[in-house]
Amino acid sequence: MYRIFSAILLMLALPLWLQAQETATLSGTIIEAESGETLIGATILVANYNLGTTTNEYGFYSLSVPKGEEITVEFSYVGFSNVVKNLTLSEDQTVNIELSTGVQLEEVVVKANSFEEQLRSTQMSVEEISTKEAKLVPVIFGESDILKTIQLKPGIPSGSEGTTGLFVRGGGADQNLIVLDEAVVYNANHLFGFFSTFNTDAVKDLKIYKGGFPAQYGGRLSSVIDVKLKEGNNKKFAGSGGIGIISSRLTLEGPIEKEKSSFMVSGRRTYVDIFTRLANQANEDNEDFSPIPDYYFYDLNTKINFKLGEKDRLYLSGYFGRDVFGFSNDFFNFDFDWGNATGTARWNHVFNPKLFANTTFTYSDYQYNIQNRITGFSFKVGSKIRDTNVKSDFYYAINNKNTIRFGVAATYHQFEVGRLQAGSDDGEIEFSAGQNFDGIQTGAYISDEITFNPQLKLNAGLRLSGFFNDGNNYFGLEPRAALNYILNDKVALKASYARMYQYLHLVANSGITLPTDIWYPSTELVKPQRSDQIAIGGSYLLNRNLFFNMEGFYKFLDRQIEFVDGAQLFANDNLEQEFAIGKGRSYGLEFSVEKKEGALTGWIGYTLSWTRRGDFELIDDTRFFEQNRFGDFSPIYDRRHDISVVAIYEINRRLTATATFVYGSGDLRWLPTGRFTFQDVYGQGSSPVVPLYEGRNNFRLPAYHRLDLGLVIKFFPKWGESDLTINVINAYDRRNTFFIFLEPETVTDALTGIELPTRVAAKQVSLFPILPSLTWNFKF
Amino acid sequence: MKFLHFLYIVSAIFIFAACDLEQEIDIDLPDFERGVAVECYLEPGKPFRLLMTNAEPYFAPLPPLDETFFDVLLVDSAEVTITHQGVTYRLQNTFSFDIQQSKFFNYVAPEIVPTDYNTEFDLNIVTKDGKTITATTTILEPIPIDSVVVEFEEEPRNDTLFARTLTYFNDIPDQRNFFRRMVNVGSLDSIPLQDFSTDDRFVQDRVVFGTQFEFSAGDTIFNTIFHLDEDYYNFIESTQNAVNGNFNPFGQPSPIISNLESDAENIIGIFTGLSYDRVMSIVPE
Repeated sequence: MYRIFSAILLMLALPLWLQAQETATLSGTIIEAESGETLIGATILVANYNLGTTTNEYGFYSLSVPKGEEITVEFSYVGFSNVVKNLTLSEDQTVNIELSTGVQLEEVVVKANSFEEQLRSTQMSVEEISTKEAKLVPVIFGESDILKTIQLKPGIPSGSEGTTGLFVRGGGADQNLIVLDEAVVYNANHLFGFFSTFNTDAVKDLKIYKGGFPAQYGGRLSSVIDVKLKEGNNKKFAGSGGIGIISSRLTLEGPIEKEKSSFMVSGRRTYVDIFTRLANQANEDNEDFSPIPDYYFYDLNTKINFKLGEKDRLYLSGYFGRDVFGFSNDFFNFDFDWGNATGTARWNHVFNPKLFANTTFTYSDYQYNIQNRITGFSFKVGSKIRDTNVKSDFYYAINNKNTIRFGVAATYHQFEVGRLQAGSDDGEIEFSAGQNFDGIQTGAYISDEITFNPQLKLNAGLRLSGFFNDGNNYFGLEPRAALNYILNDKVALKASYARMYQYLHLVANSGITLPTDIWYPSTELVKPQRSDQIAIGGSYLLNRNLFFNMEGFYKFLDRQIEFVDGAQLFANDNLEQEFAIGKGRSYGLEFSVEKKEGALTGWIGYTLSWTRRGDFELIDDTRFFEQNRFGDFSPIYDRRHDISVVAIYEINRRLTATATFVYGSGDLRWLPTGRFTFQDVYGQGSSPVVPLYEGRNNFRLPAYHRLDLGLVIKFFPKWGESDLTINVINAYDRRNTFFIFLEPETVTDALTGIELPTRVAAKQVSLFPILPSLTWNFKF
Repeated sequence: MKFLHFLYIVSAIFIFAACDLEQEIDIDLPDFERGVAVECYLEPGKPFRLLMTNAEPYFAPLPPLDETFFDVLLVDSAEVTITHQGVTYRLQNTFSFDIQQSKFFNYVAPEIVPTDYNTEFDLNIVTKDGKTITATTTILEPIPIDSVVVEFEEEPRNDTLFARTLTYFNDIPDQRNFFRRMVNVGSLDSIPLQDFSTDDRFVQDRVVFGTQFEFSAGDTIFNTIFHLDEDYYNFIESTQNAVNGNFNPFGQPSPIISNLESDAENIIGIFTGLSYDRVMSIVPE
């Protein structure tokens, strides 16, 4: 271990000795002129000295430039007009820049780095989506959804139709770290996965890391989805919103004190329940009418920020969302609600032009509650995970050849697993079950972005993570490395390696995420999951406006959790006895071509991949199954081919046409291969066709493909801007498979009363036919 | 609001007009080797009897609904014995139909299952094609129903006062117990109103299972509590999971968890004692 540390320290320190020239530090913040929002990933270039950097996730930059020399600094950001400044620095200097789109009331464009910057960056396996793109891409019911839109990028196949489960590079749906303003979101779904919890109007930036994870991230194996909320316009009061088929939304933002503090409030709510209630009321006296369950979801994002001085900035943000489902009739009252709450208090401090710090306190809560009341009886079932987190991250731009990031974090987790209370009103009958756990997760990291020469860059990092739960202490050493070698101004070769540990596990049926899934900590028997991922790739800048990227990856997964056949997951006080622990692997190739400027923009992505799980051993040997009964198998999301095409064509200032096409090899399903007749005992009828299941996930569904079309018609009234967005989902009305079931048809023998099978058939269920929708959006 | 209403109705019309979301398809399932399914419940006071049927590939031709139905369905010509306390009972390959229970069997012995709790019974089967199947079980003592309370709702609904039943019994302490609860109305060959199995994880010493207020005066209600061994519980649960997993896209299917042992492929079924208590109640006027 000592040798490893020595080698890493040497590696980190070496470039420091290579510095000789006297320099001064140019630093500052780059913001958007119209709103005052900080810009993430804006480029700062000193062309005459071949120096450059980008703003970090807080809009801060720091660059060492030659002292006393005249330099020409170009500040740029895709979609914004460049700012060029001629400077001569005799000492360290702060230069804050405002970049303007040049068009009043133009959409806030928050885009990935320019292609040139992507070419130069050591960071690979990252995808970013702009809110502008997310709002244009056609989506179900016209509800723009930035998390669903990013699933159109290569390497991120979505789950079953209509769900937001993410299976990044063969990882499970629980292996994604989703953070909203640095607070963990444990269930990013509304409406059982049809929509994500992120209201696009409130989102400033969404970035997903599929591999090559920077050292500041840890805790999940397969991806990091970093969502940042808008800060709020600190120059003028503004608003935006929309009215759609199933929901409406409104965002208001503005200065509290001009250019010093601002607020943002954004909310949305579905209103299908208003109509279903009316239908229920109208049919109150109709005995043949089955009442329609009540369902709605809502969420609220808030953020305020204060500039406390030139060096300090304070941000407070929060999210609260709930899905509420209710059904009642003469016999029972059923209520089911679930949702997340997060809170973030963040303090940015600039110690000096080279050293920037971000300290964050976050709170996360995810819970579901089910209540049912039958006359005289009631039961409640629920689960909860609650986190309190504190972390500090430091960004230290030592010089132009070394940018060091380091930090520490600690999270206190509280779990209520499978809480059940049931009983009669008279107290004579009482059932209860459930477990409570708590645990502390820690992390400390350091990384250095080392520029050896204009061609070669290395980002080397190390993270030390730990988890402590009831005397069970786990530590993980997580090395990270990313290398970029620029062959010429058009071609770069990249490679990365990352080890990740995951200390929390989601108890869910494989492949499908539900609100009732339970988060479970590492314990004595359930050890942390681990992954090692290597990726190599290349980027090719075909021209200034066309970027080709290719990556190959191989991911080793250790201590993967599956459930024994017939696992009892509901209100089980000894849940881990239902676990089997095994290994996994995933490998593949990803290709993408992207165009970001001009009338026609968009991308084409293709992924070829394989995913396997195997070598499972049961935690509880006394369970009734022989060891490794389910052997090696592929998870349901093992998708061989995945293609996505996104095209956005701006016909003129008023009209934009959009189209997306996706094609994926069918997912896997576990279908029965045999059947038998089960007669059962006296008192129960026979089941003439009971399905027999053999190897897991033994059937591949038909290929999935779908074309979605959209047309955005813009209007420019005096008070601002509005548009009518027309979407047609599944334009050629493809019946994609949601699931397949095998249905026996039977007759009852008149003489014996026994049910006899007459026919068996396979039936396919699809979710979406052709789905048109209309949404009106506005902003002022 | 009117605009919203309009949007909603227009979209709903489009959606439902285009709905044809379930359709029959042709699929090729992986191969399945033909196997054997066995059900044998040892019920004290009843003869030894066993049902042995074919386990077939899912899309194999079904038995025709004519006189050859049982020839295709049943596995005949096997040697079947059950041994208990040194006595071996040979079950003859004879078709037997229990009219009272509407159950049929193809292996029957004339001897009666003794009321002998907690001693082992051994099943041994050799099929015509040489497959050997074995299993061991015991008959558990029944758990007696303590009482069945018929209780009326406080207020009438639609001018009718409905009743429910509460079935009380005592869990056996210091051991893991498994129950199957069944409620039949009218007769025992009716489709049960309730049929579920559970273990005693959630219950205190005194257990009560209830129904909704759904019975009218004069209804005959059969409340049955089966005392299951773990093998039988696993078999019933896995059978239920297999059926549900087929129809429920969010469910996890399960292979059948059988207590039969064999070197051959796809031998499934249950060999268990049948131990229960049953109380018949008539809802009073």
